[in-house]
Amino acid sequence: MNANKRKSFRLLAVTLVAASLPAAGQWLKYKTPGIPRTADGKADLTAAAPKTPDGKPDLSGVWRGDPGGYGVNVAAELKPSEIQPWAEKLYKQRLEDLGKDAPSYRCLPQIGPYTTFGMFKILQTPSAIAFFSEFNGSRQVLTDGRPLPEDPNPTWMGYSVGHWDGDTLIVENAGFNDKTWLDVGHPHSEELHVIERFRRKDFGHMDLKMTFSDPKIYSRPFSIDVELELVPDTELLEYVCNENEQSVKHFVITEQDRKQNRPNAKVAPEILAKYAGIYEMKNPEDPKGKPIAIWVLTEGDQLLMQMSGAGPKIPLAAQSDTTFSLLGGTVQFATDDRGAVTHFTMQAVEGDFKVARKGDLPPAK
Amino acid sequence: MKNTLGSLIITAVMTHAQWLDYPTPGVPRLPNGKPNLTAPAPKTADRKPDLSGIWTTKAGYTGNIARDLKPGEVSFTPWAAELYKHRQDTLSKDDPQGYCVLSGVPREHVVPYPFKILNGTSGNGGMIAILYEALHSYRQIFMDGRKLPKDPNPTWMGYSVGRWDGDTLVVDSSGFVDNNWLDNGGHMGTEAMKLTERFHRRDYGHIDLQFTIEDPKAYTKPWTVNLEFTATPDSELIEYVCDENEKDLKHLVGK
Repeated sequence: MNANKRKSFRLLAVTLVAASLPAAGQWLKYKTPGIPRTADGKADLTAAAPKTPDGKPDLSGVWRGDPGGYGVNVAAELKPSEIQPWAEKLYKQRLEDLGKDAPSYRCLPQIGPYTTFGMFKILQTPSAIAFFSEFNGSRQVLTDGRPLPEDPNPTWMGYSVGHWDGDTLIVENAGFNDKTWLDVGHPHSEELHVIERFRRKDFGHMDLKMTFSDPKIYSRPFSIDVELELVPDTELLEYVCNENEQSVKHFVITEQDRKQNRPNAKVAPEILAKYAGIYEMKNPEDPKGKPIAIWVLTEGDQLLMQMSGAGPKIPLAAQSDTTFSLLGGTVQFATDDRGAVTHFTMQAVEGDFKVARKGDLPPAK
Repeated sequence: MKNTLGSLIITAVMTHAQWLDYPTPGVPRLPNGKPNLTAPAPKTADRKPDLSGIWTTKAGYTGNIARDLKPGEVSFTPWAAELYKHRQDTLSKDDPQGYCVLSGVPREHVVPYPFKILNGTSGNGGMIAILYEALHSYRQIFMDGRKLPKDPNPTWMGYSVGRWDGDTLVVDSSGFVDNNWLDNGGHMGTEAMKLTERFHRRDYGHIDLQFTIEDPKAYTKPWTVNLEFTATPDSELIEYVCDENEKDLKHLVGK
């Protein structure tokens, strides 16, 4: 499968939707054996989590992870003062450039732990747990008791070792080069250390907490929470990033593009307040599945978006009273003839997405 | 050099480091601590041969996968004969591997990079996976009894289903791309290619692989190759990033 059509959309996609579009085919619809099923034959995703013969939780299966807003700002829980000024400046610059220089847009790998974003498969064996990704190759977490190497040759994906703490798999990662980006722009150094904690709550759901420490750049560790969902009765697609590569030459940001992504209008707070609320869109990857909830919030004279009311709040740049820019895309609010906000339309390279207003935000605590 | 690619592709140099020298647990050893490669082959919990481990293929087949075959055993169809001659005459300049797409199957088993075989648990309904160091790729061999897809989307790695014939793992594969290269020299595979591989771990340290290529678009009759893998314990796969600091492509001009 060619990767390039995903690239231009990636920046928006990482914020709002996991970007893998399944194609239909018999291989992809083959019923995964060994999955507990309800009376109607559907996978019972709330059945108990399985165990391996040696009594450990068995994490095997095809999973999907979506970093949500963390894909835009992985370090959202840090204050700017807790980030080295040069790194904060670099992040802002890369954001303004819409991530055009991202190594992953040039078919280079992301860090090993990010193999859990998008569709991936876990294969568990006693000495190694392998992660097969659609976009990030493969990665193995060695569970044969070895420690992390002390002075390794730096790699893109890093070195990973795992051990069990009760029912939680703890994976330690180190030995990274300093070339990958942690989101659309946050850099890291060779001292980056990542701890992942995987806990399979039931058959269909797994909690993942990733904690990053990199004292050369970030004054304290920070974490993100990712919910992983089992995807039954399907398979991974082959992803060959370099095949028929035509995209890189189009990664050009003009002054006009930069200008369009900055605030170019001042919108009265009472107008912004009308937009606040809970919105829903169909999951383009799974139109019949659970819709994607997007919260629109205000802070002072700033409009922000947040996935399902959790994770980072992503600022929108006002262009007019009704139109806002979001990472290269456009968000346009619509009202009915009485002036009530009905929905917003999100325009991206992939097309227009209608996101309907569902209700008010819960009262602030 | 017959092949420009052999010289152009960046070769991962083994460095000595603690990670790579870590003794693999569970390996039978001689009194001097070295792995005993002629010890019996291990079995899985369900008494099947366990092919797990890191393996390195016998050297010498990277340029010509059919090097042991007698003249005439690889019998090209007319267009394939012409294409093979063109690839030889142009020093394989069109080899997709030069552009960092996947090596594909069975070529992964003739390139000089190690690979790791993993035996999956029941959670995936039974699966054997191969992690290839070359181009950081992987391949899944389904052991859950499913049939090969009838009209699949063509892929570089193909679709593979496996079964046991006594102590031999028999893997049937199809669904390959139409521009498959089987070696640096340019033996081709098309969308019509069917591959049958027979893996037999004859002792702790050795797997015999016999595979048959059946591709009526490119060859007038099937042909069979025998390879040998040697266990490579106390080591690990090294990261291979084909696109990193890419400077080669502009030199890939053939002649």
